[in-house]
Amino acid sequence: MEVSHSVKERTIAENSLVILLQGLCGHVTTVDLRDESTATGRITSVDAFMNVRLAEVTFTDRQGAVSQLDELFVTGRNVRYVHIPDEVDIRATIERQLQAIHRVRYFGGRDKGRKEFPRAKYK
Amino acid sequence: MADEVDPQQTTNTVEEPLDLIRLSLDERIYVKMRNDRELRGRLHAYDQHLNMILGDVEETVTTIEIDEETYEEIYKSTKRNIPMLFVRGDGVVLVAPPLRVG
Repeated sequence: MEVSHSVKERTIAENSLVILLQGLCGHVTTVDLRDESTATGRITSVDAFMNVRLAEVTFTDRQGAVSQLDELFVTGRNVRYVHIPDEVDIRATIERQLQAIHRVRYFGGRDKGRKEFPRAKYK
Repeated sequence: MADEVDPQQTTNTVEEPLDLIRLSLDERIYVKMRNDRELRGRLHAYDQHLNMILGDVEETVTTIEIDEETYEEIYKSTKRNIPMLFVRGDGVVLVAPPLRVG
């Protein structure tokens, strides 16, 4: 479970549906791009901006030409659809990702460590 | 917990346009998208960007072909079915209950 090292990305992901895509890492899916091409492969990583890295990709371009790629990076803006495989339990995936973020956030215990959202000491 | 973010309030009142979409959760909806596309499916989830998760979705792509001789416009639509789809919000134009004919 790779949670982003960036607080900003964790917060963005936690508050949007991108977190589901992050939970799809390791699954083989099809990503439909904005320019009508499609990429089918195993999702390696997804960041908070929906940039997607895929491995072992079958890429079909706009004209229909098929090619095989070891790795593909798709900018978040260029994603139109992501097909969700049948075996994925969406609710469980989202909850698992949220738990991973909370584990990182509350690392070190309640009274220790630098906190992500410090409690106001003075009113 | 010392450092808690306030849990999101879920109210039953409609306060902003996104709340209207909340009313359609788990219902079949019609989504008009950019590039002459339409989706009809069951809304499972959405977020503030209008990223959506749709189930049992039928995508309709409408294209206009111009006949070479008569120069008339022929509207063609291509449909396909996808069991579960994540839609990126920036492609969404509008969300509505499914259109009823007649």
